[in-house]
Amino acid sequence: MFRYYLFLFMGFSLLLNAQDKFTISGYIKDQKNGEALIGANILKKGTSIGVSANEYGFYSLTLPKGKHTIVATLIGYKIIEFEVNLEKNISKNIELLEDSKQLDEVVITGEAEDKNVKSMEMGVAKLDIKQIKKIPALFGEVDVIRSIQLLPGVSTVGEGATGFNVRGGNIDQNLILLDEAPVYNSSHLFGFFSVFNPDAVKDVKLIKGGIPSQYGGRVSSILDIRMKEGNSKKLSGAGGIGTIFSRFSLEGPIKKDKASFIIAGRRSYIDALIKPFVSSTNALKTADFYFYDLTAKLNWRINDKNTVFASSYFGRDVFGSSAFKFNWGNATGTVRWNHVFNNKIFMNLTAFYSNYDYSLEFNMPALNQSFKWRSNIENYSIKPDFSWYLNNRNTIRFGFQALSYAFLPYDATGQTQAGNSISFVATKRYGLESSVYISNEQKLLPRLTLEYGLRVSLFNFIGPGKAYNFRDTTANTEKAASDTLIYNKLANIKQYINPEPRFSLNYIINQYSSIKASYNRMAQYLQLISNTAASTPLDVYTIATNNLKPLIADQGSVGYFRNFKDNMFETSVEVFYKYLQNQLDYIDNANLFINPTVEGQLLQGLGRAYGSEFFIKKTKGRINGWVSYTLSHTERLVNGISNNQWFVSRYNRTHVLNIVTNIDITKNWSISLNFVYLSGTPSTFPNTRIDVQGYYIPYNTTGMRNNYQIPSYNRLDLGATYNFKNNDKHKFKQSLVFSVYNVYNRRNAYSVYFKTTLNTNGTLTPQAEKFSVIGSVVPAITYNFNF
Amino acid sequence: MKKILYLFLILGCVSCTDPIQIQLDSGSPLIVIDGFINNMRKDQVIRVLHNSDYFSTSPSSPITNAVVTVKDITANKNYTFTYSGNGNYVYKLDTNNLINSVNHIYQLNIALNGYTYTAQTEQKRTAIMSKKAVKISYPFIDTSLFKLGLYDTLMNRNSKPFYTVFLYAVDIADNNPDYYWVKTFRNDTLFNNPNDINTSVDGSGGPVYNSPQPVNYFTPPASFLGFKRYQLGNTCKVEIHSLSYTCYNFLNQAQAQMTNQGLFATTPENVKTNIVSPNGATKAVGWFNVAMTVSDSIIIK
Repeated sequence: MFRYYLFLFMGFSLLLNAQDKFTISGYIKDQKNGEALIGANILKKGTSIGVSANEYGFYSLTLPKGKHTIVATLIGYKIIEFEVNLEKNISKNIELLEDSKQLDEVVITGEAEDKNVKSMEMGVAKLDIKQIKKIPALFGEVDVIRSIQLLPGVSTVGEGATGFNVRGGNIDQNLILLDEAPVYNSSHLFGFFSVFNPDAVKDVKLIKGGIPSQYGGRVSSILDIRMKEGNSKKLSGAGGIGTIFSRFSLEGPIKKDKASFIIAGRRSYIDALIKPFVSSTNALKTADFYFYDLTAKLNWRINDKNTVFASSYFGRDVFGSSAFKFNWGNATGTVRWNHVFNNKIFMNLTAFYSNYDYSLEFNMPALNQSFKWRSNIENYSIKPDFSWYLNNRNTIRFGFQALSYAFLPYDATGQTQAGNSISFVATKRYGLESSVYISNEQKLLPRLTLEYGLRVSLFNFIGPGKAYNFRDTTANTEKAASDTLIYNKLANIKQYINPEPRFSLNYIINQYSSIKASYNRMAQYLQLISNTAASTPLDVYTIATNNLKPLIADQGSVGYFRNFKDNMFETSVEVFYKYLQNQLDYIDNANLFINPTVEGQLLQGLGRAYGSEFFIKKTKGRINGWVSYTLSHTERLVNGISNNQWFVSRYNRTHVLNIVTNIDITKNWSISLNFVYLSGTPSTFPNTRIDVQGYYIPYNTTGMRNNYQIPSYNRLDLGATYNFKNNDKHKFKQSLVFSVYNVYNRRNAYSVYFKTTLNTNGTLTPQAEKFSVIGSVVPAITYNFNF
Repeated sequence: MKKILYLFLILGCVSCTDPIQIQLDSGSPLIVIDGFINNMRKDQVIRVLHNSDYFSTSPSSPITNAVVTVKDITANKNYTFTYSGNGNYVYKLDTNNLINSVNHIYQLNIALNGYTYTAQTEQKRTAIMSKKAVKISYPFIDTSLFKLGLYDTLMNRNSKPFYTVFLYAVDIADNNPDYYWVKTFRNDTLFNNPNDINTSVDGSGGPVYNSPQPVNYFTPPASFLGFKRYQLGNTCKVEIHSLSYTCYNFLNQAQAQMTNQGLFATTPENVKTNIVSPNGATKAVGWFNVAMTVSDSIIIK
């Protein structure tokens, strides 16, 4: 550790520089709609001296006194060149114009052409929303999360499963940020559709490795989703009617170039379609089954130095009737203030609120019975982040974050016959996560750039609340609570502190290739309690407590990046190794719901994952797309499980191959093709059976978990987009998207399970069955418009 | 809970299941002890069997050379079970010597191949039948029960009208949790699909502490979503067997292993056992429980 600090200070000592230099800074925006252009490059012409615009489109470039030619570039936009005479610090906003000619054939990511080679980023995957919209989707619904699953290092346990697994990490190890606020459940209808409205999303970035110091709180990945700011030039809108959702969004200026808004909503509408056609006695008549989300954002550019954003997301899934109600959803609210202190220091101050809650209710008046159950998790946070563009060799980032957790594991009330009311209410649990970080991106040599930093996170499990102590027992049996301690408000029950060093390196071999390496340590103070194959909306999170240690992960990776044919092809090979401590597992027959001493049901163990990722992307031309292949292995070691030996994780997928292709046939027609192959997930199969009380109970005498592999998963999807002929002439543009999911109708196994069938003559037949979530071809048509 | 989630999948999706051929390894030998006995006025049976290949369609083969006794440790009294074929060891009905002592501790001893396997359990109190019953006929329109949206999916819409009966039982609510196994019969046939294993704590979903009432009423034959169908003239019978806490867990775990399917399946695991296997002996699995029982029935008219 000491050596690390020394290294950090050595780095800063190199920052001192002569003062005959000046800075040009400002925002880079899209000329057409005023959206900030994330990742646009600003360069001194003919050199490699330059910067890219941050998440808010801000750039700051420091150059020697004198005249310079500055170039601003971004894929899909016309290059802009201008002269500056740097006699003093200059503030200059730049607007880039979309290159419509180029647009037809290019645009995969909105960034500089050779960014993948030159930037510090490794283990980073960006998807442009335009690209996401071209991928053929299940039920034709454009989906951010399902598109992410086509990238190297990312997989899922199957259709319908919530979330995604990154480099052998569990689904709760991904920090999903929507305008910097965490989203706990990223899915509608379990895992079928993600909660992000594609019409409101501007930028999607997944960071799997080399995670920069400004991010923390989850160990496997950061999915940073940025919402559009809203067109600041003119009123515009978009919408569509799909198989599942109908969508509408509206954006426009409140005051031209100063203030704008966007509001976007989606609702599933199958219920509205069905109801008129069912009889009044049909259960569907009174049943509710729909999901919706609403996204809104306002931004106000006060002056060159200050911009304020307010954004909010609200989404819910609702099922049920008068007798049975079940609903869940997220709500987030973010307020941000961008402030430019001087040409070199940029600050973003974020305050956010995030809530995930669900409730489940039964009412049976005929029997005088009812049951209500609810649970939620709430966050408040404040987080200033500073970027200090010290000079063209050093960019320092620092900041801190305070994040509060409050969660209610359950609040259940039951009403039985004779009017007995029974209530089970858990004590709320509170936590406070505080962190500070500093990092420097330093061009040490013209070809060698380092980024080094340290994040220190401190977690307090605080009162008011109860803390349980447990007696030690044999591993994998329920731990009994020995005593309960009651704490007052803000009392410190347990504290954890974790230094999290981060380090990345980029060595540029030549114009087209580079080698990158990174190491990061991450700490995570809350984990999802879920022992089912796919997480359910009812699963609750738990924060680190006196009994549960925080999850710690160390990850190292090395990658080689090479572009071919004038950056037409981007290729990369990355290898990674990840080591996890204190991952949650569960005792046999765990009772995880409505259990005050649920910690007695939990185990913690080690995990490790390693693999290599191969990626080829064609960024230009009529045929574009990518091929990714991941070879990886992920396993666990938990005392008390699988004879105390390493066993493969439930979500292990040895081979994952994705082929994503888009072909622009004519100006009006484009087609897309998507093929995926994933090795089958592991599963525990019995090798014998025991007969007790007339039941055939499966039994595995080896005691080894995940001893078999279910059949592999493969699927082909096709899509075609038709842009209406006279789109050029009209402001109102329309398109139709046709998609066929699972073209060759493969019933991919989600799981294989064992059951006995009771025959009419009273005998039993044991058998194995394969469960397929999607058991057929799924065609769909979506109509889209924008104006 | 899983059942409820599973329903949505049926409602919302195109999911399907297909039989699949799987080549399984053979497991090592086990001694299977099926020791569920009770205070009912009938022969009590403890079964001792071998394990089987999972896919074997024939019942497991019997172990014939065991010596089976149950000792009431509290009263220092022995009950001898004698082999009667088919793996069954039987304690013949003796109305003067029923196994019928609440809170007594019992020990099962099985001598086999020079080893003695043992298990201990306590005979717990059971619920009281309340002589109250409610009959509901289906399909119905006027109660809210089947506005659940479940009727069309769970039951065949075209089935002929049928009746469901709710027999009421009383649980003593005194902060000592009671664990029950509710067995439901139509005429004399037990509903014995794995999904029919209906266990209950204090007649509810969990232990009831500090109950506002001295007793809880509950409706044994109908676990939620577990309505059974009867026709006119059928007899609905219910037996409530008391369980030890660990046996309650065993039944739930066994049920989970036999019905572990769908999107929200849990990781398969081996059921626990309360049979203690001596060192060096072939491992024994299974369960020993001594239940107090109560029973009631009604003829649908």
